[in-house]
Amino acid sequence: MPVTATASPALAADAVEPGRSLWQDAWARLRRNRMAVIGGVVLIVLTALSLLGPLFLAYSYEEQNLALGAAPPSAAHLLGTDKLGRDQLARLFFGGRVSLLVGLAATSVSLTIGVLWGSIAGYAGGKLDAVMMRIVDILYALPFTIFVILLMTVFGRNFILLFVAIGAVEWLTMARIVRGQVLALKRQEFIEAAVALGLRKSRIVLRHVVPNVLGPVMVYTTLTIPAVMLLEAFLSFLGLGVQPPMSSWGLLIKEGAEQMEEAPWLLIYPAAVFAATLFSLNFLGDGLRDALDVRASKD
Amino acid sequence: MRYKTNRRSVRELAFTALAGLVLVAGCGKPPTLVGEGDRLQILHRGSSSDPQELDPHIVQGVPEHNILQALLENLVTEDPTDLHPVPGQAESWDISPDGTTYTFHLRAGIRWSNGDPVTAHDFVRSYRRALTPSLGCEYAYMYFVMKGAEDYYKGKTQDFSSVGAEALDERTLRITLNGPVPYFLSLLNHYSWWPVHLPTIARYGDPYQRNNRWTRPGHFVGNGPFVLERWEVGHVIVVKKNPLYWNAASVKLNEVHFHPIESADTEERSFRSGQLHVTEQVPQSKISVYRRDKPQLLRIDPYLGAYFYRINTTRPQFRDKRVRQALAMAIDRKTIVENITRGGQLPAYYFTPPDTVGYTSRSAIRYDPEGARQLLAQAGYPGGKGFPPFDILYNTSESHKSIAEAIQQMWKRELGIDVRLLNQEWKVYLDTEKRKDYDVSRAGWIGDYADPSTFLETFLADSGNNRTGWANAEYDRLLKEASRLGDRETRYELFQKAEAIFLDEMPVIPIYHYTRVYLLRPEVRGWNATILDHHPYPYVWLAPRPEASLATASAAAQRP
Repeated sequence: MPVTATASPALAADAVEPGRSLWQDAWARLRRNRMAVIGGVVLIVLTALSLLGPLFLAYSYEEQNLALGAAPPSAAHLLGTDKLGRDQLARLFFGGRVSLLVGLAATSVSLTIGVLWGSIAGYAGGKLDAVMMRIVDILYALPFTIFVILLMTVFGRNFILLFVAIGAVEWLTMARIVRGQVLALKRQEFIEAAVALGLRKSRIVLRHVVPNVLGPVMVYTTLTIPAVMLLEAFLSFLGLGVQPPMSSWGLLIKEGAEQMEEAPWLLIYPAAVFAATLFSLNFLGDGLRDALDVRASKD
Repeated sequence: MRYKTNRRSVRELAFTALAGLVLVAGCGKPPTLVGEGDRLQILHRGSSSDPQELDPHIVQGVPEHNILQALLENLVTEDPTDLHPVPGQAESWDISPDGTTYTFHLRAGIRWSNGDPVTAHDFVRSYRRALTPSLGCEYAYMYFVMKGAEDYYKGKTQDFSSVGAEALDERTLRITLNGPVPYFLSLLNHYSWWPVHLPTIARYGDPYQRNNRWTRPGHFVGNGPFVLERWEVGHVIVVKKNPLYWNAASVKLNEVHFHPIESADTEERSFRSGQLHVTEQVPQSKISVYRRDKPQLLRIDPYLGAYFYRINTTRPQFRDKRVRQALAMAIDRKTIVENITRGGQLPAYYFTPPDTVGYTSRSAIRYDPEGARQLLAQAGYPGGKGFPPFDILYNTSESHKSIAEAIQQMWKRELGIDVRLLNQEWKVYLDTEKRKDYDVSRAGWIGDYADPSTFLETFLADSGNNRTGWANAEYDRLLKEASRLGDRETRYELFQKAEAIFLDEMPVIPIYHYTRVYLLRPEVRGWNATILDHHPYPYVWLAPRPEASLATASAAAQRP
């Protein structure tokens, strides 16, 4: 016993070294990427401020002070007020809820549909592929604005619908990118190996194909989020998105841009916050892509 | 000439180029629409939205008037300084001693833009078209002063000869009225009374139905000082001098370009960068800046108009007049004009603008939030509880949005009512309003002619511009009676009674009385302040100043 007792711990350590999953690997790599970590922290802070910030403010986002009008930053209003005398900080926090929610929700809708659609079409090939991609082509051909206006007239002006509408349009490009990647992947040996092992098709797609396309998908996702936030501002301007007195970053920037000469603070702060969000998303996206690159991890 | 390539001359060259650039930036500047327009007598006018149509018997708005005024001319036209009626297509007219019969004598040799002669029959045919029910002319009630017009419009008779419009010969037109209408000639300056060329309309469809394509460029035939050259939807409308116009010799402008720009900020930027001679509006936040730095470019003219909210009285929650009164009493108009519109507008406590040709309403509404809460409680909604949320509809514009947001907040704060905002593009908005598919809708009413009746008659039960579903027999009776009288004192007394009923019933909520706030470049001449904001184009011209002063002016205009 004592003899074996000395030898076995070493042996056990060798044999039972905890196998690290793809996700654990990725997490470790992500933590080593400083810019990505900073980006993530900034995003978390902005989200927290948007959610909790309004609780600590003396003003609500809709409370007006018409006599005050557009006033520059002061002790009472840290970021100034807009032309109806509403506190800009409160509006910025509140707008953040809308923008971040739209960005997140619409992007996840587009991510889910796009990745599944693209990988199924790409992996199945043949007739199914042709039909699925023609559907994408047809949806592509619909002018976006008309499509959204149609949705809005059918379902009414609903805030939630905005997410769905944007997401439902944004997945098209994603599907194409993923399909292209899958076409390249499916002739590779590890897929053939998986087929030879007799795995079911759904398992091959989900466990072997999808993780390998995560790189380009991540990059495209980080590009989608800002695009979605801008779309939301555009739709709100048309009266289809967020309704006043509610606001979003996109709307604040649009309103600020119109008055940038008389009231520059109305443009600077929302624009700065929006830019910070986009930078953070990009760094985080970059980091995630590196971290999730399965090919790099097996080197 | 040869350039030496040593270092020094390169530096010199660079310096010269830089100086040249500064010079170019200082006075030359790339050619702007305005600069080119000044040379070629092309007026660039901002127009707040694309016109709904260019058919005088269909349109309803002010942007449309500004364009149609260039394309068509009626029997009389307007004096450029005070808008009193002056001879237009008619060179003279006789009025019967009792004031009910007008005989117009047309000019000799006047022609439509396609060369056809303009005859008295054209006018009769136009009136017939406007009064044909199938066309659905919103302004048909403007004709009701004419004998038999109302009966014909309402289908009581199919015989147009019963209507008091008759062509005695090619050049003589007789119009018979129901009574002496002292403002009849001014009424003729409203586009619903303007003539159209029936044969042209018939070529592009049924002249008595809508959706006729005769107003498209290339199709349009008019008799005004200009002809329609181009209509690029959402971009520009170009009208060009009409050589066949009877007074073409005195028309100095060669073209007028109408630029539909909905956003006041965009329009102001276009003006500043030399793309417009005159704007339709000024962003509220920039009024004080212009007043301080460039007062010579800012114009604030008196304007005969009211800004108000229509209430759809067919909606169940608005049937009770106490609710409507409560909504009206909860609005702090003074704060709105002082802090949002900021262009010298007057808070409106009654509908007809004060001192409209000597008439000022004696009845008025109050700003009284406490009283408003009580009224709302009496109507069954104490503290706004249970009041169904509703929409404020407005046509897309920053200033309408700001005012709507302020009122939304006032109603929420004072009455506890939740309101949403809904904006639509001009044409859609007009259509929504017409279908009465709204709750509360922002509206503006600019006098069509200088008389209080232009405001009050809008809300006659059968007026196409009523659009609130509100009707009151006594109100209609008072106004009908007034329209048959010639005596001003008696008429104004009847208007007082009618307006008292109107304000008590409150189918619309007056908010402020307009002033015309806009930007105008100094080289535009013949552009007078008139209370209806009409500027007859034959009297407008451009007088570019010498190069030097233009340069300083445009450099200064860069930074208002």
